[in-house]
Amino acid sequence: MASTGRLKQTLVRDAIRENVDVIEGRLPKGLRRSDRIRRAIFRASVFVIVPLALFLSINALTTGKGERTDVVFVSTPAAAPAPAAAVLHAPKGLEPSLFRLSVRSVVLDPGHGGTDPGASGVGGVREKDVTLDVATRVKALLEEGHLAVSMTRDGDTTLSLKDRVLLANAKRPDLFVSIHVNSLPSVRDKRVVETYVLGTTNDARVQALAGDENRESGYTLADYRRLLEGVLQDARSGESKRLAESVQGGLVIGLKRAVPRLEDHGVKEAPFVVLIATEMPGILAEVSTVSNDDEARRLKDSAYRQTIARALADGILAYAESRNHPPSKRS
Amino acid sequence: MTSKKDVLHVGIDLGTSRSAIAASNGTKHVVESYVGWPLDMVARKIVKKTILFGAEALEARSMLDLHRPLERGLIKQGSAKDEEAVHELLKHLIALAGRQEGQRVEAVVGVPAEALRVSRQHLRGAVKGIADALLIVSEPFAVAYGMDALLHTMVIDIGAGTTDFCVMNGRYPTEEDQRTLTHAGDSIDDQLMKLVKTKAPDGRFSIHMIREWKEKFSFVGDPKQPVVARFPVKGRPADVDITAEMKKACESIVGPIAETMLDLLSKVEPEYQEKVQRNVILAGGGSLIPGLAAALEKVLLEVGGGRVRAVEDPVFAGANGGLAIAIDAPEGEWEPLGA
Repeated sequence: MASTGRLKQTLVRDAIRENVDVIEGRLPKGLRRSDRIRRAIFRASVFVIVPLALFLSINALTTGKGERTDVVFVSTPAAAPAPAAAVLHAPKGLEPSLFRLSVRSVVLDPGHGGTDPGASGVGGVREKDVTLDVATRVKALLEEGHLAVSMTRDGDTTLSLKDRVLLANAKRPDLFVSIHVNSLPSVRDKRVVETYVLGTTNDARVQALAGDENRESGYTLADYRRLLEGVLQDARSGESKRLAESVQGGLVIGLKRAVPRLEDHGVKEAPFVVLIATEMPGILAEVSTVSNDDEARRLKDSAYRQTIARALADGILAYAESRNHPPSKRS
Repeated sequence: MTSKKDVLHVGIDLGTSRSAIAASNGTKHVVESYVGWPLDMVARKIVKKTILFGAEALEARSMLDLHRPLERGLIKQGSAKDEEAVHELLKHLIALAGRQEGQRVEAVVGVPAEALRVSRQHLRGAVKGIADALLIVSEPFAVAYGMDALLHTMVIDIGAGTTDFCVMNGRYPTEEDQRTLTHAGDSIDDQLMKLVKTKAPDGRFSIHMIREWKEKFSFVGDPKQPVVARFPVKGRPADVDITAEMKKACESIVGPIAETMLDLLSKVEPEYQEKVQRNVILAGGGSLIPGLAAALEKVLLEVGGGRVRAVEDPVFAGANGGLAIAIDAPEGEWEPLGA
């Protein structure tokens, strides 16, 4: 009896500690080392990236020959020198296909993680585990295709959307791909794949999905406004759409064989935070639907997760191929 | 210094379908989680109230802006009106508990096992001005605590919006010990709605009627008697046998719950696994479904057998557990939990 009393005291104290952690914005025990790492990255970004950007900006203003530092896919400035003012303001109506673009690096962002499990399905399948496993497999496949690949997380760690953006922007990749798993509890019979690019939407379901995925973003309302203003008419949008179409095509072709009743919901627009604030062409792919019981069961099978990874990697590699070796217009 | 006498401790099970409160002054109340405001002046004159709750709100729904503000056990995202409705619902529950003027309220509220931190912060916002301090715990943990089932136990709390699983291993449950599924009471309603519509395409019935039939006649396994529902078909009242539809809808949650139960069991330390599978507790409204415990026991035969029992008081098990936690929390430790 006395031991039950002691156990209860410990449990109540632990419950209170967990609540205080949430109130004070601390991560739960066990996840705080990653927090320190993120803070270190943030400090590094302040002390290294900001001075570097300032140096390049000043250089561009004084010589008029500087590269744009905020559009990562301009690899050969000599082909189309950017005006000096472009260093300070994103150019309007820039057509990326005018540049000789190349895709050499990708940041993969496995959705959710740590204290945020994302959606879950039968048998205890959780979105955070599926996205991490699929992203790890995609990384291996893209590396076979000679792309340099980084991930925003490689373990079960909690990252706010702001953390993800900071990590991705610090890597300065050519592409950003956020990997998620859909949940449609009101239509459990559906198995859907869809790919999102940044944009606005009037679709209530898509709004709700963006609301769910944007939770715990780490951004304030003022940040949102600034970010949205910053991306209007951005040159990234055209490339993001091309990437999204290629990835959606890869997913549908790759997964239809395994799931004949798969529904292709195509490329859509939605205001996902990770797409607003990242500085390179980016997409968010919903690669599966965990609310469907059959799909949730299959997600436990590593061979099926490999099929998803293969389909996603094929879409990214096809896009990279089209940028690295564009078909000649003369032929 | 506040004495225990000046404090009203409450445990609240804030449910998608029903919300229950148990207070340290001995009061207990349950309210259907509906909040409604009169649509216009005429409606206000008829209902004679500025806000209605629970069954009363449901009854007068045609005259109200009616909200069921919780979704999957949490405040619906993005709707200011739903946030206001949760605030009003909590205020109503604490008023029902008989708070004395000037009395401090220290509340423990249960939420789904995998509720996000941000959802907990929303809840904290909704409680502002109603309770003086708030401790949020996972609902199945509250149930386990209230029953002293703290060691080698699995609680499966089947609510309307979610089914929450929690394995108690003598420590505060981490996310590895808990799961949340959206296969729950509402998903049975959705299934039943579709099946009855298919059976009687010309019939007219609402989701509220479907819920009522489920609460009266739900079952898993063999029916004790035929399930006959009365609703208008082509404008005339008709008795329709929906036994097969009821069985199919109720049994739709058995597979997912069984799979998740087995998955969680497989993660228990091997030496304790047998003890846990002999100590599975069903809570929440879903635990009242006849035949469900037996169906899960049948599944446990695959891993050597086990025992599944339902809590005695499913309506108040969560609230009672919350109250027990509130009373046991040392007075000085409520300080940083100010709402």
